[in-house]
Amino acid sequence: MLKNKNKRKRETVDVVANVIILFFAILNLFPLYWLFTSSLKNSSDVIKMPPDWFPKTISFNNYVDVFQNQPALRWTFNSIFVSLISTIAVIVVSSLAAYAFSKLQFKGKNVIYIIFISSLMIPKEVMIVPLFRIIQDLGMVNSLNGMIWPNVATAFGVFLLKGFFDSIPDSLREAARIDGAGELYTFYKIILPIVKPGIGALFILNFVQVWNDYLWQLVVGQSEESKTLMVGIASLMQDLNPNFAYKMAGATVAAVPMLLIFIFFQKYFTKGLAIGAEKG
Amino acid sequence: MNFNKHALKENLTGYLFIAPQLILFLVFLVYPIIEGIRLSLYRINYTNEVFVGFENYQKLFLNPVFVKSTINTVVFVIFIVALTVIFALFVSAAVFDKNAKYVSFIRGSYYIPVMVSMVVMSMVWSFLLNPANGLIPYIAKQMEMSSINFLGNPKTVLPVIIFVTFATNVGQAIILYIASMIGVPKDLFEAAEVDGASRTTIIFKILIPMVKPTTIYIIIMNIIAVLKIFVVIQLLTGGGPNNASTTLMYFLYNNAFKFNQLGIASAVGVIMFLITLVLSIPQLRAMFKKD
Repeated sequence: MLKNKNKRKRETVDVVANVIILFFAILNLFPLYWLFTSSLKNSSDVIKMPPDWFPKTISFNNYVDVFQNQPALRWTFNSIFVSLISTIAVIVVSSLAAYAFSKLQFKGKNVIYIIFISSLMIPKEVMIVPLFRIIQDLGMVNSLNGMIWPNVATAFGVFLLKGFFDSIPDSLREAARIDGAGELYTFYKIILPIVKPGIGALFILNFVQVWNDYLWQLVVGQSEESKTLMVGIASLMQDLNPNFAYKMAGATVAAVPMLLIFIFFQKYFTKGLAIGAEKG
Repeated sequence: MNFNKHALKENLTGYLFIAPQLILFLVFLVYPIIEGIRLSLYRINYTNEVFVGFENYQKLFLNPVFVKSTINTVVFVIFIVALTVIFALFVSAAVFDKNAKYVSFIRGSYYIPVMVSMVVMSMVWSFLLNPANGLIPYIAKQMEMSSINFLGNPKTVLPVIIFVTFATNVGQAIILYIASMIGVPKDLFEAAEVDGASRTTIIFKILIPMVKPTTIYIIIMNIIAVLKIFVVIQLLTGGGPNNASTTLMYFLYNNAFKFNQLGIASAVGVIMFLITLVLSIPQLRAMFKKD
C-alpha cells in the first residue's frame, strides 16, 4: 500500500520535471530553427513584423550571395584544411608520446608527464600576445600554418590516448620484441590498431574544437584569403549590409558540417567527453 | 655493460617518441608563458622594449575599464557556472534512467548549440535581439515592455549575455552528467527504493553525491571557459554600452590588437594564467591520485 502511494507520488514529480525538460529542449533548438528558416527568406521577409514563422517562399539566393560576394569557398577550404591538418598532426604527435609514457621506460618520464598534464587546463588564449609574436617571428601571420601548430602543442591527446594504451597488456609488446620487431613497428603495426576507438574519439573532438575555434584564427588570419569560415562569417556581422537573411545563410554554412558530424558520430562525443571527466 | 647499453637505447627510444610533442609543447606553450611574464614587465613600443617592473600591473588596477572587466568576468563566472550546474543536474537526474532513445534526444537537443559553436549562436542571438527587426524585441513590444533594446541597456545586457552563454553551453555539462549517472550502480537505488525512499530523496541523497567528481570537473572546466569569454561579447555587444559588458579576455584582445598596448595585454594574460593555474590544482590533484 505504502509502496504504491510512494510510487505514484514519485512519478508525478518525475513527469512534471520531464515535461519542463522537454519544453526547454525544444525551446533551446528554436534559435537554430530561426537561423535556418531566416536564411531561406528574402531580405524584406526576414525583417517583417509580425514574422513569418514558416518561410512563405524558399529561396537559396542568400547562399548564392554568400559564395559569390564573399570568398566563402576559400574560407570553407581554409577551415577544412586547418581542422584536418591540426587533427592529423595531433593524432600522430600525441599517439607517439602517449605510447612512450604508457609503455616505454626512460629517465624523467613521470616529471615530463606531470608537466604535460598540468598544462591541460590552461587556455592558449591567455598567452595570445607572446604566441602571436612567435608566429610573427616564424613568418606565419596570415598563414594557415600559424593557425595549425599551436593547436598541436596541447597535451589533451596525450592524456586521452594514454588511458587507451594503459589498458593494453605489456605482454603484447614483449612478444613483438622477442620476435625481433623494432619499437616503431610494434607501435604502428601492433599497438596502434588496438587503440582505434581512442583515436576516433580524439579525431572527432579535436576536429570540432579547431573548426569552432575563433579568437586565435581571428588574430592569425587577417588577410581575406587566410580567413577561416568562423572568422569570415563573423565578419559578415560587422558588414554594413542590413540583410540579416544573408548573414544567417553564412552562419548556416558554418553550422551544417558540425551538425552532420554530431548526427553521425554522436557516440564519440558521449564517450570522448566522458573519458576526460572520468579520469579527473 | 650490456644492461647499460640496453637501458640507454630504451631511454633514447622514449625521448624520440615524445620529441615531436615535447618540441611543440616547449615552443607554443612553455615559452609563451615565460615570454608573457617577461613582456608584462616591459613597456613595449613596436620593437622598442623598456623594463618598467610592475608598472603595467599598477596601471591596470587604476584603469576603470580593467576593474569593470574584472567585475563583469567574476559576475559571469558565478552566474553562468551556477546556472549550468543546477540546470544540468536537474535535466540529467530526471532523464538518465529513461529509455535510450529519449535520453539521446534530450542530450542531442541540448548539445547541438554547443556543436554549432558560440560564433554561430552569437550571430543568431544578435539577430533575435536586434532592436530594429529582431524577434525578441518584437515580442517584448507586444507585451508592452518599456525597454526593448536589451543589449543597449546597461541594466539588461549582463543578464542577457549570461542567459545566451548558459543556454548555448549547458549541453556539455548535461552530456557529462548523464554519462556519469548511467555509471552509478543500480543496486544503490534499488536498496533505497526498498526502504521506501522517494525519487527526489534518492537523487539528493545518493545520485548527486555519487557524481561529485563530475560536478567538480564541470565547475572547473566551466569557470575556465567563462573566464576567457570573448566571442559572445565581440559579436553581441562589442563590450558596450559604454564598457558595461566588457570582460578580461575582451580587454586583453583590445589592448593587444587594437590599442597596441602589448605590455598591458601581457599583464592581463599573466593574471588570467595565474587564476587558471590555481583553479586547476584540485582537478590535477584528483588526476594524479588516480594514476
